[in-house]
Amino acid sequence: MTLQQTAKIALSILALLAHAAVSEAAEPPSHTAIVQAAIEKHVIPHIDALKEAAAQLPGAVASMCRTGSAAAKEDLSSRFRNVVKAYAGIDFLRFGPMLEGGRRERLSFWPDPRGFVGRQLRLILLNKDEAVVQPGAIAKQSVAVQGLSALEGLMTDKEFPLGPGEALRYRCELAEAIAANIVSVADEISDGWEKPGGWKDKMLHPGADNDTYKSPEESAGEFVKALLVGLSLTADLQLKPQVKPGVKLVPPFQKSGLQKAFYASSVESLRSLYDALDLEDYLAPDKDWIKNWTGGAWRAIESSDGVGGRARRAPRNDAPPLREVFDKMNGLRKLVIGEMSVAAGLTVGFNELDGD
Amino acid sequence: MAIDRRSFLLGTIAFVGSAPLGRAFAAGASEVAFVSAARRAGGDFCVLLLRADGTVVREVPLSGRGHDIAIHRLSGRVAVFARRPGTFAVAFDLRSATPPHIITASEGRHYYGHGAFSGDGRLLYASENDIEGERGVIGIYDVARNYKKIGEHSSYGVGPHEILLLADGKTLAVGNGGLDTVPDAGRVNLNLDSMEPSLALVDAASGKLIAKHAMTGDLKSLSIRHVTEDAAGLIWFGGQWEGAPSETPQIVGSAGRDRELRLIAPPASGAPDLRGYIGSMAVSADGRIIAASAPKAGHILYVDSQTAKVISQSALKDVCGIAPEGVEDFAASNGFGVVRYETPRASIISEVELRDIAFDNHLRRVV
Repeated sequence: MTLQQTAKIALSILALLAHAAVSEAAEPPSHTAIVQAAIEKHVIPHIDALKEAAAQLPGAVASMCRTGSAAAKEDLSSRFRNVVKAYAGIDFLRFGPMLEGGRRERLSFWPDPRGFVGRQLRLILLNKDEAVVQPGAIAKQSVAVQGLSALEGLMTDKEFPLGPGEALRYRCELAEAIAANIVSVADEISDGWEKPGGWKDKMLHPGADNDTYKSPEESAGEFVKALLVGLSLTADLQLKPQVKPGVKLVPPFQKSGLQKAFYASSVESLRSLYDALDLEDYLAPDKDWIKNWTGGAWRAIESSDGVGGRARRAPRNDAPPLREVFDKMNGLRKLVIGEMSVAAGLTVGFNELDGD
Repeated sequence: MAIDRRSFLLGTIAFVGSAPLGRAFAAGASEVAFVSAARRAGGDFCVLLLRADGTVVREVPLSGRGHDIAIHRLSGRVAVFARRPGTFAVAFDLRSATPPHIITASEGRHYYGHGAFSGDGRLLYASENDIEGERGVIGIYDVARNYKKIGEHSSYGVGPHEILLLADGKTLAVGNGGLDTVPDAGRVNLNLDSMEPSLALVDAASGKLIAKHAMTGDLKSLSIRHVTEDAAGLIWFGGQWEGAPSETPQIVGSAGRDRELRLIAPPASGAPDLRGYIGSMAVSADGRIIAASAPKAGHILYVDSQTAKVISQSALKDVCGIAPEGVEDFAASNGFGVVRYETPRASIISEVELRDIAFDNHLRRVV
């Protein structure tokens, strides 16, 4: 081997080492890349899942009402479960198309500490006004009777289960109207995000002419806020009533036994958004402890079934106590606010997160 | 004195550390220019008494997040209320460091973060939720009896927010947000499709309703939150839009005893979107300029009270606290520890930033 050849090999090795070093110290994503990832990896798949699950609902309700059979009941329960799970995945995207026209409340009226769903349903069932069950008419009623919470009430009524017969006719027509409304609202949300010039385009093209997002920072910041809202909602509404004495709140979709499914979907979706945002990539090397801590926090959150037991595909071997899960979720929220969003240049202010 | 301070800070951004608690207590009350609830970097909540240059005179710790501060300037009494749906208020004296009084909401009630002293300083009024009754009330507390609750008036609406004692010293203006909440369900609004926001004028002594201006029709989703009074006696409000974002109306307006609600004229096209939320309202010392902070948008809107037209909009991320300064200028605070002086033409006079402090919604001028 000549001296020249040896030098060439040495240079190649050096180049390879340099390339490896550059690869290891990957640049954190740009704010535009964050928005793109959040939309493509999180929002659109979850919105599409809701749209697809909702589309299966009217047929299942109609079949139940036509036959009242055990098979139809099982099919309806399964399809209802799918919609609730899909809804839990987008519950915290409380901006843009979800905010328009009260769509979130129209899909799911929970929490309901005043019992509005039961009250409004009883009123409608008492009056049996045919106009209410005409196509599209339910959308003009109280939001409490337009979505999954009201449909659950009709599906789980042991005294008057959905089925054939004149006595159940109005109930069934109401259930079918609600199912159709759920499809309609899910389609509106999907359309609001995905149509040309919709919310996806609005977030991807910030600027002076954009009436909502003036910069990529503002678009990306919206997703950081959504993540924080989701962590707060899950901790405060799903876990807190179980860990703090005196807080009384009926869990989500308890009548249909979907509390665990709701928690699992909330967590899956939060994790998916957290990963899509890649905020940890912005942390300085001396903040490695945060990555270690968040890894443990997510393991605890994902190992819980949300009611004190162990999740099905739990990364941990035990069932983390709910108090630990609650604290970890709040800790995660604080680290996103105080460390990660700051490092990413997406600082969320003390006052802007939640108006009062 | 104001000129000296401005000269000192003009065009600069000063980074100052806030005074530790022990030293702060030794300072005189005459130095206190502003009061604001705040959060320390460690997560603890407190009320900060600030000098005009932004440094801390004194700190009163709170057990949870505070919101607004009622001040009776003559007696030096101060009361800070827990943020909705908190159940505590803390009252103390500006002029002495005697231990504060802790006030606890009565059974079945919680606070909405706001209150006002009576003109003579003998009573404290608080906006409260009658949780079971699904109605708003004005709690009445006797200062001389260690802030014992001695009665209630109706707020004539659901979800009362800011309470303001008007210049006549007899009338309370109440922003009824119209939003029903239950503490167990956190801060979730339960009646978005049936909300009935209103501005109620209530006789402070008798509790009788003097006038009520309700949001109706296309404006029924405009929750009235914060209020201030101009030199002509008009009550100005800042709202929170709970309807579809694409249908957001102007969210600042005014009303009088005999004059119906009116929203401000839309600002020129291209003006920043306020994101449907006004976090705090203030009037200039001369009573002519209205300031409305929009923390979600990071803007302050300045309005001429005589023409109801926007004068200007300034930008400050997370700005919320706003208070009068000089004749027609304002001081503003934000969640990043900034206290800024600026003119209603959005020209910055000076700015100071306190490390490790996040100012909460409201900044109140003491003198």
